Amino acid sequence: MNIKSVTVVGANGTMGRNVSGIFASFGGAKVYMVCRNLEEAEKAKKKAASSVKAEAIEKNLIPMTYDDLELCISSSDLVFESVSEDINIKKDVYKKIAKYINPHTVIATGTSGLSINELSMCFDEKIRKNYMGIHMYNPPYNMTLCEIIPSQYTDTKLLNIMKIYLKSVLHRNVVEVKDAPAFMGNRIGFQFINEALQYAEIFKDNGGIDYIDSILGLFTGRSMAPLTTSDFVGLDVHKAIVDNIFNNTEDYCHETFAMPEFALKLVSENKLGRKTGCGLYQSIVNSEGKRSTNVYDITTGVYRPKEKYVFPFAKQMIKELKVGNYRRAFENLNNNHSIEAIICAQFLIKYVIYGLVTTREIGEDVHSADDVMAAGFNWVPPLAVIDAFGGVEIFKRIAREKLTQDYISQIDLDDILRDAPKSNYDFRPFFKAK
Amino acid sequence: MTKKIYVLGGAQTDFERNWSKEGKGVIALLKEVIDDGLKNINITYEDIIELNKLGKIACFVGNFIGELYINQGHLGALLTEVNPAFYGVPSARYEAACASGSVALDAAITKIKAEDYELALIIGWELMKTVDSKTCGDYLGRAAFYEEEAVGIDFPFPKLFGKLADETIIKYNLNEKRYLDNLAKISTINYVNAKRNSNAQTKKWFMNEDQANTRGTSSNSMIGGKLAISDCSQVTDGAAMVAIASEKFVKENYANNEFPIVKGWGHRVAPMKFDEKIKEGSTNDYILPWTRQTVVDAYRRADLIVDDIDFFETHDCFTSSEYIAISAFGITEPGQEYKAIESGQIAFDGKTPINPSGGLIGCGHPVGASGVRMFLDLFKQITRNAKGYQLEKANNGMMLNIGGSATTNYVFILGKE
Repeated sequence: MNIKSVTVVGANGTMGRNVSGIFASFGGAKVYMVCRNLEEAEKAKKKAASSVKAEAIEKNLIPMTYDDLELCISSSDLVFESVSEDINIKKDVYKKIAKYINPHTVIATGTSGLSINELSMCFDEKIRKNYMGIHMYNPPYNMTLCEIIPSQYTDTKLLNIMKIYLKSVLHRNVVEVKDAPAFMGNRIGFQFINEALQYAEIFKDNGGIDYIDSILGLFTGRSMAPLTTSDFVGLDVHKAIVDNIFNNTEDYCHETFAMPEFALKLVSENKLGRKTGCGLYQSIVNSEGKRSTNVYDITTGVYRPKEKYVFPFAKQMIKELKVGNYRRAFENLNNNHSIEAIICAQFLIKYVIYGLVTTREIGEDVHSADDVMAAGFNWVPPLAVIDAFGGVEIFKRIAREKLTQDYISQIDLDDILRDAPKSNYDFRPFFKAK
Repeated sequence: MTKKIYVLGGAQTDFERNWSKEGKGVIALLKEVIDDGLKNINITYEDIIELNKLGKIACFVGNFIGELYINQGHLGALLTEVNPAFYGVPSARYEAACASGSVALDAAITKIKAEDYELALIIGWELMKTVDSKTCGDYLGRAAFYEEEAVGIDFPFPKLFGKLADETIIKYNLNEKRYLDNLAKISTINYVNAKRNSNAQTKKWFMNEDQANTRGTSSNSMIGGKLAISDCSQVTDGAAMVAIASEKFVKENYANNEFPIVKGWGHRVAPMKFDEKIKEGSTNDYILPWTRQTVVDAYRRADLIVDDIDFFETHDCFTSSEYIAISAFGITEPGQEYKAIESGQIAFDGKTPINPSGGLIGCGHPVGASGVRMFLDLFKQITRNAKGYQLEKANNGMMLNIGGSATTNYVFILGKE
């Protein structure tokens, strides 16, 4: 497909401007960046170019305002909506833009989880078939995942053409996902993150937030610990995602999407994380200019210095990973019966199971969960975790050993793991020796 | 060549990886590349033990300067830390700056040819992201005549290859803008090619001709003379392994022998100092006559000519070095390199593609690994195992690996028997 011009509505937001950068660079498209005012649009243009490390694309980026909607949209092959994650705001914007859209224009929303079917109803039948979700992850230059979500009205031929465009022109890792709350990456990722948050509350007397992050640290197959990730994206965003899933889905992990009390309190106090100066963590600079990290202590309700926990199982795993002994690192995890090692193993195993269950429900195939977690979160993907444990049979045995009876009784482990193939991803780079 | 040397296969690590960020060191790096390489040639560690009992196997390690990057020398012996199967296996490290991988290959080929061993494992590697970029540049300065060409100079190598660009313009009386446009085209071709290679360092990066031509901006700052970041290969961590074997070994161990053979080689050393090189070559048609001679030697030994070569892997540490390689290979006359660039001849779908892998600029340049990585890429193309970057026609391939400012020059030709 030849997409020569794109209108990004809401290009002043982080995603809007970064997506503009992707269309203008890899896509080589002329991008109208529609912002609230020209000053913001000019700023967004600079940031968009810098997000793909290429000033040369600035000439493809055209700052615009909502006053120019008619001009931009009527001459665009694709309109990409990236306004606030509020269904009413989106509906208002759609009302404004619908009249300028010609029958051949592709319309996409960058929503990270609102219903594509519901949103598509804002458009009349003539153009409703051109509407779909195109959900990229931030920052898209590094995170190449692109979930594409058709509504029940989306023209299948157009959907397939867009998949090819996103893959071969924009170099995205494209996964078609059903129109389910939060789609797939955030559903699987935030199941893990929110349950970690719940565990921080359960184990608040052991240390809470930094204690859980130390159990599920970089050595467990990610480049950022789960609660640090939540702090990074913001507890407000975290809350929006898990609330959406909690209110609109019903599966065996339902309760793990409930945000714990202490986190709700932090949200109500606007302690959202890095963007507000403090949240689960707090970065502080002392009088000598030295930076250090504090963590919210759930028991006392105050910030205290982050602990450096030393768990024998983690220390041993890291030692093995440092010299590339992956098998031995996992033997250490499996054979250690400390509470921390058990929590760690349980989280990894439950993540695999939920990933496989979810991909069956809303993904394209058994590899979809791998694609979304590797390319969207930079986490070791579920099937690759099975490989790291030593294959399906060993994984199954360890799962039965480590999981509670309660958990096992809710799932059909044999069925979930039946025909689980080897991952397309190499697990080794994901497990950091730190 | 009298005795046949077969190339069995091998592996490379994903050059996108930053091993320091992963918290992993050289042993993890070597373990991965050797595990993957052995799997690729269907040899186990137990096989190595058995072969070693009979004195049939040896290892050849290419590395430039691990002493500085990771405070480790004695790099041939270090394999014993990877797996006890290497206890007793003859192994040594070979060094010729960025051509370290090739000098290791050369030694291995010689030993197999002499029938000292039947199977040789050649492992090239470098971990460079252990230090900041300025320190890294200074370390690399040891590949020049450090005392005279590098001490106290920030990024000495970009400056030397910037000089090569200047000298190329003067020698062939080129229009500067056209020449720089051509360098931007070279850079872009390498980046575009790298997008097809899942092991390439820059597979997610964006580059186009406009950006490569926007030199001197904050996203493409000047780095040496007329050259900018886009003209330059980047600091890379990585390793590559290949295995070569004698005819006897292949016959005894593999039912289907469709392995490529080493058809030709060349090895020449030019004056160490860049200015001396230019002075010495001033009356020659080729700006780097010893680089050209290395290619000529390889053609002669292989009894092949340029028209017999379907594709090339070259040492594009900078766009200016790929530019001169075009005539050194004989693709054009010296001074007319622009013709092959502007016509699209060296692009992926051109008549004589250069660097289908993405080369050093696109795929990455862990210096001690590069020669082995190129050799492996010739193998992959010829055996049709290059996956996303497989060329249609790939019966014979040539590689040029250089050390220093084109001081050590190595060429290998691989092809179907």
